[in-house]
Amino acid sequence: MLEVKELESGYGPMQVLWKPNLYAEKGKITSLLGPNGAGKSTLLATVFGSVKPWGGHVIYQGQEVTQLPTHKKVNAGLALVPEGKHLFPNMSVYENLSMGAYPKKALACKDASLELVYSLFPRLKERHKQKAGSLSGGEQQMVTIGRALMTCPKLIMLDEPSQGLAPLLVDMMFETVLKMKEEIGLTILLVEQNARASIDAADYVYIMHEGTTKFHGLPEKIRESDKIREAYLGS
Amino acid sequence: MRKKYLPIIPVIIAYLVLFLVGKNVSGTWQLVATLLFYCALGQAFNIFMGMTGYVDFGYVAFMGMGTYGMALGITRFVFLQEYGAVIIVIGFLLALLMSTLLSIAVGAVALRLRGAYFAIATIGVNEGFRFLIEGARIWNGSEGIIFMSQLNDILGRDAASALSTFWADVMVLVIAFLAALTTLLFMRSKIGYALTALREDEDAAKVMGINVTKYKIIAFITSACFAGSLGAASWALKTPYVFPPEVFEIHYTIEAIIIVLLGGAGTLLGPVAGGLIYGISKYYLSIFIPGFQLLIFAPIIIVIIVLFPQGVVGMLRDYTKNTVVGRFIV
Repeated sequence: MLEVKELESGYGPMQVLWKPNLYAEKGKITSLLGPNGAGKSTLLATVFGSVKPWGGHVIYQGQEVTQLPTHKKVNAGLALVPEGKHLFPNMSVYENLSMGAYPKKALACKDASLELVYSLFPRLKERHKQKAGSLSGGEQQMVTIGRALMTCPKLIMLDEPSQGLAPLLVDMMFETVLKMKEEIGLTILLVEQNARASIDAADYVYIMHEGTTKFHGLPEKIRESDKIREAYLGS
Repeated sequence: MRKKYLPIIPVIIAYLVLFLVGKNVSGTWQLVATLLFYCALGQAFNIFMGMTGYVDFGYVAFMGMGTYGMALGITRFVFLQEYGAVIIVIGFLLALLMSTLLSIAVGAVALRLRGAYFAIATIGVNEGFRFLIEGARIWNGSEGIIFMSQLNDILGRDAASALSTFWADVMVLVIAFLAALTTLLFMRSKIGYALTALREDEDAAKVMGINVTKYKIIAFITSACFAGSLGAASWALKTPYVFPPEVFEIHYTIEAIIIVLLGGAGTLLGPVAGGLIYGISKYYLSIFIPGFQLLIFAPIIIVIIVLFPQGVVGMLRDYTKNTVVGRFIV
C-alpha cells in the first residue's frame, strides 16, 4: 500500500535519511524500530510531506506521491499522528475531533468517524466538552489519535504513541493499535521505542539505523536473532 | 438572519451609537473620528494578527501603500475631473491594488517564517520600504505628494472640505464595519476553523490536512487590503498630502497591536472595545498630561499580558459562556 524507495531528506545542510526502503502492506501493522536519532520520525515526516524530500520515491496505492503537498496526502487517505501531543489545547475534545474532519471528504463521513472514535475511546465521549489542554497525558494521546482517525484515513502513521505514558496505558495503547487494524481494517505504520511490545504487535518489522533501513523481516525472525537485538534494540 | 451571525448585532450597535453621538453632540465629532480610526485599525489588524497569532510589525506599510494609492489616483487621474467622485473610486482601487501587491510580496517571503522570526522579518519591511521610496525618489521621494489643489479641482472647494471633515470619517466607519463583517464571516466558515487551528498549533493543523500556507496568505492579504483602504480614507482624504516618514511611522503598528491585545485577539468585538478604551484614554491623557500619552504604551502592554492575556472581550466571553448574552459575544 505504501512503498518508500531510497528516500533522502534532512534539515538544512544536514542529511538525515540515507535511502531507506520500506513497504507497508495493506491491512497490516508494519513496525519501524531503531535507536534514537536513527531517522524514524524524519522518515514519517518525509513520507507525509512536512519535511521536504530531497530524492527517492514515496509510492502510495500505486501512485507516485513524493512531492504531493501534505494537505493533498491527507485527502488521499494518509494520516500522521505526530510525536508529542500536538493538539489544540484551548479547544474542547469534541472541537479537536471535529477539526480532524476538516477535509471535504472527511466532513462527509464525520458522524460515522465520530462514533468510531468514541467507541474506540469511550473516555473521550465522557469528556467531550472538556478543554483538551486539561486532559491527562494518556487522554491527550487518545485525542491526537482520534483526531487523525477523523480524517478517514486508509493508512495511519503513528509516531511513538506510547511516549511518556504509564506502563498500564502503554499496554492499552498497543491494544488500540491492534483494534484499529482488526476492527477498522486500517494499514498501520508504527514507530516505537518500546521494541518488545512493538515487535509483538507487528506483522512485519523494519529496523532503522543511521538514517537507513538495515534489517527487515517477520517479527519471529527479529525476536530470534540475538545479533539484531543486541546491536540495535538493546534488549 | 441565521443564529450564527448574531454577534454582528453588538458591533452594529457600537458603531451606530458612536456615529450618532458624534453627529448630534456638538464638538465630539473629532473625538469620534479618532475612535473610529482606532476601531478600524484594530478591526483590520485583528483579521491577521488576532486570527493567525502572527505579529506583523510592518503592518503600517500597508496603510502607507493605501495612502499613496489614493494620492496617485487623485494626482495622476486629475484629467478625469469632470467625472468628480469617480476619481476617488479609482484612488480606492489603486490603494487596494498596491496594498495587495505589497502584501503578496511580503507574505511570500515572511510567511515562510514562524513566530518570533516572522515578527523580526517584518520589522524591516516598513523601514526598508520608506527608505526605498525616499532614496530612489519614487513618487517624489521624501518631498511626498501634496494634492490639496487637485482635490479641490475635482470635487469643488466645499465638497472637498466636507469630505475631509466628515465623509472621510464615515468611510472609516464603513471600513471598520466591513472588516468586522469579514472577521465574522471568516469565523463562521472553514477559513476561520483553519486559522484557529493554525493559531493553536500549526503542526497539528498541517497534520489535519489543512493547507496552512494558503489560509495564512488569505488572512494576510485580506488584512492588508483593509489597512490600505483605511490609509486611503483616513490619511489621504482627511489630510490631502502624503510624506513617507508619516505614513510609515511604526507607532501605528504598535497601536494596532495594543488595541488588538487589549480588546482580545481573535475576537470579533475585541477591536471595538480595544479601540474605544485605547482611543479614549489616549485622548484624555493628552489633555491632562500632554506628551506622556506615548509613554503609556509600555505599562499598558505589560498589564494586559500579565493580568488578562485574553483581552477584555476574551474575559467577557468566558464569563458569559452558556448564557444568552454569551451568544452575542465572540
